[in-house]
Amino acid sequence: MSSPALGSARRPWLLLAPTLAVIGILLLWPMVRVVVLSFQDFGLRELVRGGAELIGLQNYRDVLTDERLWRVALPNTVVFALVCVVLTVVVGTLVALLLHRLSPGWRTLVTMAVMAAWAVPAVTGTYVWVYLFDARAGFLTGVLGQLGLVDVATQNLFTERGWFYAIATLNVVHHGFPFVAVTVLAGLVTIPSELPEAAMIDGANAWQRFRHVTLPMLKPVFAIVTILSTIWDFKVFTQIYLMPGGDGSNREVLNLGTWSYITAMSQNQFGLGAAIAVLLTVLLMVITAVYLRTLFKEEEL
Amino acid sequence: MMRTSRATRLLALAAASTLTLTACGSDDSGSGSGGDAGSGGGDASGETLTVWIMEGTNPDATPFFEEVSTAFEEETGATLDIQYVPWASAHDKFTNSIAGGTGPDVAEVGTTWTPEFGDAGALMDVSDKIEEAGLADGYVDSVLESGTLDGAVYGAPWYAGVRSIIYRTDLLEEAGVEPPTTWDELVSVGEALKESDPDLIPFPVPNSTHTTTPFIWGAGGEVATQEGDTWESGLDSPESIEGLQFLESLAGEHDLSTPAASTWNEADTRDAFARGEAGMIISGSWTPKSIVEANGDLEGKLGVVPIPGPDGGMSPSFAGGSHLSVFETTDNEDLAWTFVEMMTTGEYAEMWGEQTGFFPATNDLLSQLEEAEDPLVAPFAQQMLEASATLPVTPQWGQVEGAQTIPAMMESILGGKASPEEAATTAADEMNEIFGS
Repeated sequence: MSSPALGSARRPWLLLAPTLAVIGILLLWPMVRVVVLSFQDFGLRELVRGGAELIGLQNYRDVLTDERLWRVALPNTVVFALVCVVLTVVVGTLVALLLHRLSPGWRTLVTMAVMAAWAVPAVTGTYVWVYLFDARAGFLTGVLGQLGLVDVATQNLFTERGWFYAIATLNVVHHGFPFVAVTVLAGLVTIPSELPEAAMIDGANAWQRFRHVTLPMLKPVFAIVTILSTIWDFKVFTQIYLMPGGDGSNREVLNLGTWSYITAMSQNQFGLGAAIAVLLTVLLMVITAVYLRTLFKEEEL
Repeated sequence: MMRTSRATRLLALAAASTLTLTACGSDDSGSGSGGDAGSGGGDASGETLTVWIMEGTNPDATPFFEEVSTAFEEETGATLDIQYVPWASAHDKFTNSIAGGTGPDVAEVGTTWTPEFGDAGALMDVSDKIEEAGLADGYVDSVLESGTLDGAVYGAPWYAGVRSIIYRTDLLEEAGVEPPTTWDELVSVGEALKESDPDLIPFPVPNSTHTTTPFIWGAGGEVATQEGDTWESGLDSPESIEGLQFLESLAGEHDLSTPAASTWNEADTRDAFARGEAGMIISGSWTPKSIVEANGDLEGKLGVVPIPGPDGGMSPSFAGGSHLSVFETTDNEDLAWTFVEMMTTGEYAEMWGEQTGFFPATNDLLSQLEEAEDPLVAPFAQQMLEASATLPVTPQWGQVEGAQTIPAMMESILGGKASPEEAATTAADEMNEIFGS
């Protein structure tokens, strides 16, 4: 492998070529296409007959001046993602700490139970939550009614923005925490037991041991799960689209993902939909970049 | 390493929306089931015609199409590959398949979508073929017109249906009331039903377009009107708003609906009725059969009455249906038309009508049904002939449906987020913006 001779400069590229080709075809080309699309006036007619007109930044101007972006889609996307990421990571970490303390037999059992939540496809999981919160027959709606939190006779939770996203949060966190739990657990088992033991002898309580021993050691793990959760929760689509009203009939619950899809696919404004998708991507890139930067900066200290 | 994985994930994210364009709807290339194409003496043996049919119209669609396939193979030698598409995802699926060039040869297209896809160039103009086949006067005018744009015919009329009120005869009898013939009676019948059974939803008010428009038209309003080349929404006219206010009062003031219904579409409403939870619903002429099929206990307990007008008479309801359209991308124009003609006229059109409860779209067959005295057919036929309406025949209408303008309006009214007047104004503005683009 380390032979310095013949064509050594070219060889790595040769070996990378298949991977690059696949990435280029499956990822790069569609992305370029979306970006180009976002500068075009592209409707159903152009889709069939070709010949789309370049209209510069018009689509972006339309999106950025649409009050639906600022009042609905952006807040829904950002706040929802923020809440979901925090909850997913916290719940996942707590479950990981629990798993770490269990005996091997119990650990297997609980891990399997946790995995079940992960294994359920998003579509199925969403329908289960929708069913549980159904305005007439939903079990959890009934419970909330008994608690006096909901007036079952007049309220349909899905029509209210706050409730809609509360239900979506439950769904997404429930679906997302097992990944965090399993990843953090994998990190936890790599911490030598001497460290927490030494801390304990020094009189550190559970929180202090977590804060000053576990957390610093697992920093890269938390970085990974937080970034991945951020990306997933920002671009959440299925779980929103499939809820009652999420497909566009309730305008208050649009997020950037569903708004982009509905604009492009249901209204055939492909250029405008692509512009929304590009904005979502840029937003996500900025957030991830800022996050990684702070992370690496701290590490250098 | 991490850098790459982040980058690729971001790329994947950005690519997602394009991928849906190319990844879906590419399921027409597989060979059909059953490989024995030995029989038949036609000139197209060995060829396969791919056809998309909407799911759920005919509860016995499979045996029906098996029979059609056999007959078609005998006549032409070609095999039929019938694929079922759910209504809810059909519009997106059409769009995706057009983008990917993976469309079928023939598809059932909802009458309100035909102008949109036709105008975009996805469907073939079949006016010559209709002329050649001598069918120009054979098809029911209104259904033919809804697929006609600037003289080009983008779909052959296949079947049509209309909506009326389906009610529970047993529950009305128990409550001691007759089916409603005015809007006031709709309220009083609903209140009587509620009194005799407080758990019942007397008259659910969903957010669906087709359960909303009868009240707009009934009050004298219009969804949209055409002036020259441009369309203008009529949702915010005083008449339309009056109709919407009445509809809102059914759910609000008179409490005849349920909060859950504000996110229901027509199918959800029908499901609730089939479970025995509702007393009266607005539902299509094709639905009594599937309701009884879903719940055998309702056999013999269904009645139908045309949707009443404010002070008697009838409120018009949407006469919808389907065209069979030939896709522009087909390699088998003539074969495709042979299939369309076979399905839309004569024996199979009649059989389809009998099995689905839809009205055939040829004049001959429809006039036969006029004389039918079936209590589950006659009131629908009356509504079809005397009080049916169509939605704007413009390529933009598909976009209005895609934007869910009317369901969004109803959802905000029923959810108490806007008054009928406010919601109607917002919806009218949105509709006008789409018409203007």
